[in-house]
Amino acid sequence: MIEALYDVSPAWPVIIAGLIAAAVPNHYVRKGLALVAPVLAGFLWFNVPSGVHTGGIIELGGFTLETFRYDGLSRIWGLIFIIAAFINALYGLHSKDRVGDASGLIYAGAGLGAVFAGDLLSLFFFWELTAISSVFLIWGSKTNEAYKAGLRYLAIHVLSGVMLLAGAVIHSADTGSWAFDESLSVNTLGGFLIFLAFGIKCAFPFLHNWLQDAYPKATVTGAVVLSAFTTKLAVYALARGYAGTDMLIWIGAIMTAFPVFFAVVENDLRKVLSYSLNNQLGFMVVGIGVGTELAINGAAAHAFVHIIYKALLFMSMGAVLYRVGTVKASELGGLFKTMPATAIFCIIGAASISAFPLFSGFVAKAMTLAAVAHEGHYIVWFILLFASAGVLEHSGIKIPYFAFFAHDKGHRVREAPVNMLMAMGIAALMCVYLGWPDMFGIPGGYRALYNLTPFPEVANEYPMWTFDHVVGQMQLLLAALFAFAFLVRMKWYPDEKRSINLDFDWVYRRAFDGTARWGHAMFGRLWASIGNVLAAARTRMGGRLFQAFSPMGAISRDIPSGMLAIWTSALLAIVLIIAYIAP
Amino acid sequence: MSDQSGKHDELVHPAARPFLWLDAKWLKSSMLWILLVLALGFAAIDLFHHRHEYVHLAETPGFYALWGFGSFVLAVMVGWFVIRGLLGREEDYWDGEGDQ
Repeated sequence: MIEALYDVSPAWPVIIAGLIAAAVPNHYVRKGLALVAPVLAGFLWFNVPSGVHTGGIIELGGFTLETFRYDGLSRIWGLIFIIAAFINALYGLHSKDRVGDASGLIYAGAGLGAVFAGDLLSLFFFWELTAISSVFLIWGSKTNEAYKAGLRYLAIHVLSGVMLLAGAVIHSADTGSWAFDESLSVNTLGGFLIFLAFGIKCAFPFLHNWLQDAYPKATVTGAVVLSAFTTKLAVYALARGYAGTDMLIWIGAIMTAFPVFFAVVENDLRKVLSYSLNNQLGFMVVGIGVGTELAINGAAAHAFVHIIYKALLFMSMGAVLYRVGTVKASELGGLFKTMPATAIFCIIGAASISAFPLFSGFVAKAMTLAAVAHEGHYIVWFILLFASAGVLEHSGIKIPYFAFFAHDKGHRVREAPVNMLMAMGIAALMCVYLGWPDMFGIPGGYRALYNLTPFPEVANEYPMWTFDHVVGQMQLLLAALFAFAFLVRMKWYPDEKRSINLDFDWVYRRAFDGTARWGHAMFGRLWASIGNVLAAARTRMGGRLFQAFSPMGAISRDIPSGMLAIWTSALLAIVLIIAYIAP
Repeated sequence: MSDQSGKHDELVHPAARPFLWLDAKWLKSSMLWILLVLALGFAAIDLFHHRHEYVHLAETPGFYALWGFGSFVLAVMVGWFVIRGLLGREEDYWDGEGDQ
C-alpha cells in the first residue's frame, strides 16, 4: 500500500495515457500505453484501503471537486471498467489508429472518473468527456453513415450533459449541495432533469435509438469499447442517485421486453447486440428501481458480468466483420469451419447472456429476479421471465447460429488475429469462472463476484445454487431452444433478409427532419414573398415620391398662391370644427 | 466458395475438422427431437419434485417450460409480423439522408 497514492483516482493514468497517445505517432508506444494504463489504474484500485474513502479533492473557482469517492458501489463499477479497458486494449492491438487509441483510452478514463466522482460538477465534467471522446470511435469507420450517426450520437449525449448541468445547478440552488448521492429525487425539477440526463445515456425507451444507431456503425474495436462504458455508467449513476425510484421498475421492464421484438428480425448482428444491450440494461434498471440491497446487488453483479459477456459477443462479431467484411446475418453462415476459436468464444458469451447455469449471467440475473418477486412485483417478474427467453432468442441463438452455423455461405477466411483471440479468451474464461458454483468445499467463482457487490453479506446469504433454481432455468431455456427448432422445422421462423426496421429514431431522423426541412423551405418561400411585396411597395413608394419630390414632381410644380390659400383655409376650418365638437 | 461439407476443403481450420459433423444433415434433422426430449425431461422433474417459488403460479408443474416455449414463439411472431410487417423497409431506406 502506498499512502501517497490513496487520493489518486484510477481515472487519471488512463486519461493521461490517452492524451499522450494522441501525440505519439509510434504504434507500439501507443499500444504499450493502452495496456499499461489499465494496469496502473488497477494498482490504484487495489491500493485504496478497504471501506469508504474520499479523496482527490480539487478546489477550483470556489467549488470543491471530489474526484475519488471509493465505496461499495463505485468499487465494483471501477474494477469492471478497468478490466474492460485492459481487454479492449488487447483486442485492439492490431489496429493502427492513433485517434482510436487515444479516444478509447480517454473515454475509458472518463468513465472511471465519472464512477469515482463524488459531486455533480465532477460528474458533469467526466460525463461530457465520455461523450466527446467516444464519438471518434464511431467516426473511425470513415463512412458517411458513421459520420452522420456520430453527429446524432454527439448531439444526444451533449444534450444529456447539458441537462445534467442544468439539473445540478437547480438542485444545488434548492439544497445548497453539489453532492452526487441519494439526495437526488425525481420529485424536484433539478432532480428530474438529472434523471432524464441519466435516462438518455441509459437508453430508456424512446431515448434509446442512439445506441442502435451508433454502435453498429463504429469501428471493429470501437463497438467493443463503446459497449462497456456509456450505458453502464448511466446504470451506475441511477444506482447512486435514484435507487428505489418506483418508476424505474416499469421503465426497466419495458426496456427488457421491447428490444426483443426488434432483435428477432434485425439482419445486422452488431445491431442485434445493440438491442440485446438495451434489453440487458432493463434488468439492471428494474433492480435499481426495486432498490433493496438484494436488488442493488443484482444490478451491480449484472452490470459486472454483462460488460464481460457483451464485450465478448461484440468482440466475436468484430472478428467476423474484420475477416469477412460484413456482419449481416443474411450473408453469413458456416464460419465455425474457419473460425472455430471465435465460434467457441461466441457460444460462451451467448450461454452467459442467456443465463445458462455454470455461466456468469445465471448467478447475476437470478438475484434481480428474486428481488423483484420478493417485493411482490409479479407482473414485472413475468415480463422479465419473458425477456429471459427473448435474450436466448436473439443473443443466445441468433448470433452464434447465423454467424457460425446455419447455411454455409462458403466464406473461407482466416481465424481472428491472435490478440483478438487472447482478449476473447480472457473474457470467456471470466464468463465461466464467475458462474462457477461451490464444489467439493472449494468456493465457486461466483463468490468473488458476490464479494464485490455493494452488500456482500446479503449476496452471500442468497441461496443461489439450489436445485429449484437450476431446474427452473433449464426448463425455461430448453423449452425456448425447442421452440426455435420447432419454428425452423415448420418454416415459421423468419428468413434473414437484407432490410432494416424503423424504430423511434424515425421520429427525429425523418419526421422532425422532414418537418424542419419543410419549415425551412416554407420560411424561404415566405421570406421571398415578403421580399417581393416589400420590393414592389418600395418601387411604388419610390415612384410616387419621385413623382412628388423630383425636380419634375408635383411638389416642384408651380402652384398658384390662391389655391394654396384655399387649402389652408379648408384645413383651418376642419381643425376649428373638431376643436369645437371635442368635449 | 468451396465444398459445403468442408471434408475436402483445405481451407477449413484444422481445429474445426473434428467438428464438421455439426453441419451434418442428420444432426439438423434430429435436433428437434433431441431438444424435445431434453425439454420434456427437465419439465418432467416437476412431477416428482415440488419447486418452491416466490410466485405461486411458477410452482405449477411445467410452468417454466411452457413460459419459455410461449415467450419464444410470441417474440418471433411479434417480431416477424408486427415489427417486420409494419416497420420493415428496404436496406437503402436511410440512404441519402440529410444530403438534400
